[in-house]
Amino acid sequence: MSLKSYSRARAVHIMLVYTGGCNGCDIEIVNCVLSPKYDAEQYKVFLTWNPREADVLVVTGPVTKHNEKPLREIYDAIPEPKAVIAAGACALMGGVYKNIHGDIPSEEIMGPVDNIIPVDAKVPGCAVRPEDVLSGVVSALPLLLDAK
Amino acid sequence: MTAVNSLIAVIGTLLVALIVSVWLPGIERKFVHARIQQRVGPPISSAGIMAPLKFFFKQTINPNSPMPKLYNALPLISLLSVIFILLFLMPQLYALAALTSIIAIVGLLKIEEVIYMFMGSLSKSIMSLKMPFPDIVKGAKHPNTTRTFMEELSSLRAFRLIAFGSFPLYIALFIPVALSKSIYLSGIVNYQQIHGPILFTMAGVLGAIVFFIGYMILLNEYPFVILKTKADVIEGPLMEYAAKYRAYVYITRGFLMFVLASLFTTLFLGIPPNLFSWNILVTIAVALIFPILMAIMSAFSPIFTNKQFYPVVAGVSIIGILALVVSFL
Amino acid sequence: MNENNKITEKNVIETEVAMGPVHSAAIEPYRVRLFVEDEMVKDAEITVGINHRGIERIMEGLPVEKANSLTEKICGICSNSHIWNSVLVAEKAIGIDVPERAQYIRVIMEELERLHSHLLYLAHGNEVLGHETFAMRIFYIRETVMELLRMIGGNRVQYGASIIGGVRPRCELDAMRIQKISEGMDIIEEKILDFADRFVSDPMIMSRITGVGVLTRKQAIELAASGPTLRSTGVETDLRTEMEAYEPFEFNVITQDDGDVKSNLLMRVLEIPEAINIIRQAIKHLPDGKITNRSWDMQDAPITKSYIEVPRGKLYHSYALEDGRVRNSIVRTPSIANIGAMQYAAVGHHITDAQLAIVQCDPCFTCTDRAIQIIKI
Repeated sequence: MSLKSYSRARAVHIMLVYTGGCNGCDIEIVNCVLSPKYDAEQYKVFLTWNPREADVLVVTGPVTKHNEKPLREIYDAIPEPKAVIAAGACALMGGVYKNIHGDIPSEEIMGPVDNIIPVDAKVPGCAVRPEDVLSGVVSALPLLLDAK
Repeated sequence: MTAVNSLIAVIGTLLVALIVSVWLPGIERKFVHARIQQRVGPPISSAGIMAPLKFFFKQTINPNSPMPKLYNALPLISLLSVIFILLFLMPQLYALAALTSIIAIVGLLKIEEVIYMFMGSLSKSIMSLKMPFPDIVKGAKHPNTTRTFMEELSSLRAFRLIAFGSFPLYIALFIPVALSKSIYLSGIVNYQQIHGPILFTMAGVLGAIVFFIGYMILLNEYPFVILKTKADVIEGPLMEYAAKYRAYVYITRGFLMFVLASLFTTLFLGIPPNLFSWNILVTIAVALIFPILMAIMSAFSPIFTNKQFYPVVAGVSIIGILALVVSFL
Repeated sequence: MNENNKITEKNVIETEVAMGPVHSAAIEPYRVRLFVEDEMVKDAEITVGINHRGIERIMEGLPVEKANSLTEKICGICSNSHIWNSVLVAEKAIGIDVPERAQYIRVIMEELERLHSHLLYLAHGNEVLGHETFAMRIFYIRETVMELLRMIGGNRVQYGASIIGGVRPRCELDAMRIQKISEGMDIIEEKILDFADRFVSDPMIMSRITGVGVLTRKQAIELAASGPTLRSTGVETDLRTEMEAYEPFEFNVITQDDGDVKSNLLMRVLEIPEAINIIRQAIKHLPDGKITNRSWDMQDAPITKSYIEVPRGKLYHSYALEDGRVRNSIVRTPSIANIGAMQYAAVGHHITDAQLAIVQCDPCFTCTDRAIQIIKI
């Protein structure tokens, strides 16, 4: 393993962007970083709120209209290499909210996250479990390690 | 021969400083914060070594700043000023006279603080005003205000820190001067070799306490973290640093911890950092003890806003002045 | 200071600092514009509606059972409150008797939820204060509640306990579960009292939170604040005293006097033993019998309303029934009542304190974003 991938595996900064779900996934993710029980830091995963510092973007929620642009801008602000993890049913396929107008295209839900930014790992669940989020971050790691 | 020896000593000391300083953030995080918070915590290499290394391998981006080149140069200037402090502390360079006085060190520490102000006013992050959101719409309150970036707030706070937040540190630096009646480091070190370390006098003990508080304020550690608190300015002046420039920021912080500790050993114990003497171990020990003490303090304290910050600084400064008075008596 | 003149009358305020929708202090998406003069907040504007998803619109025309489970997705923190209240509307409209055992289990779930919501509030409050250690310790306590909720409901966040006529069979409490709940309560009570001691005796924290974000009683009533935010100003109001499900239980309504961050935090700390007390009474006197009443027929009903007390205040649900389908659903969550209080409490403090003053009202903006018209960008 080269020094590059070794150092990338040893310090992963994740950033959480919450685009309008029900709070459930969001709290579970914060919980998995802040709670001593899950303690993401022992797996070298650090929480940051600055896109310039982040490697992995964790997105929850079905991306409402007002959140679309901020999400895209934050994604653009992250320097390469980066990975995106969509966490929770809403981020994966719009959840219960996507089908709001039936066949008429929705003006409120712009999601799922796939439509806005490329997604590298998907974590299912409503709400996601902290264990699953950690394994999602781990599954996105090879992408970071092998990048230039 | 002596010139070569000195050169080796200087470069060797710098390398030792670098090697010790990269472990300090990890030790703080793993052995103190994580222990107090009853969790496993990150490996000690993560925060100090691997994170900067990782940032070196990231893509260099153009920061959102009116002067991107100057903004990116600032961490290097800051790192250089810290390295110069360490150089001037070394006994091999005491021949430089004026540069190895306490005044030069105060000046270099001032650069460290002033740079935060520049960083704050040059950073225009996506996370505050640039965030696309329709604020000024029909019915919005106060549509005619000047809209500012969060970083300008931290620039303002950095200015306050320069104005009086750094009082304790500078008062503490002048206690050895008052005792040894010399502003030259060589004079202070000589005085202590004759009269014993200043730390073990009344004024020295008070001075050490004041120095420690000043150390925490200069390093912006909790509770004196108002410059870059997560509650409002997120990371403040450092928001736009990415890739290798962020790595410099990380390294500078660890280096500053080491340099301030060796400043303390020089001024209060009479032991300048010198690779060719076993006393370098004392410097390293102090460099380890200070961050650990600081981490214990920071794990148990909330952020101080101005309401708590002013009285604390005023109180500590009064202790410092008391120590100065004691040293004159 | 004249309390009504706290918000400045000046037309032009020097500077404005805007935060959100993605920010470290508030994890939820909302926009807050703080108008500052020399770092002191002179006025605040909170914009919600960012995560409006139109759940009432989705509920329109759905079978009532489906609509009920959909209300859980309004909020991940107080999901049980939403489903309970939504089910209560249907039960009221059709006139269904709920078995007593089911009522008790619903109360247990609701109080467990109150525990985890309050603990989350305390943790978030400490996080905004900058006290990471306390935040982690609270999260550690909260994990006990989450495990209990997972044991009963099968999910850590949305457990869907209530159905029309009772509770889901999954949520039946057998002897083993009761044992685990009572053990969990002992642990939480011990730890939270220990935490409260340390919290109150910490001079640094006390100086940060005392006198910050003050809301007077008169002002709180004028701003129509709700729940603990109102109780922290000294108004003794708690819908639980009037709710049918809470009749068998004895508990105190906790009030505090100052209406600042300190009384808000202490409110939650003191409400936790009260919730534990209710749970203990409920598992001690848990009646035998069925947990679901299945002998009811669907019928049409006009708009029926229901109010309940949830961790953040009063929650209102109403809808009409037509062919077993939901019509004209309206949800009003407590946080929308507290937005005025938040805006008011943030004024007059340092910016770092202003965030704290917003957090003191326990905002839940996902709940709040209901029937708000989205403006096209």
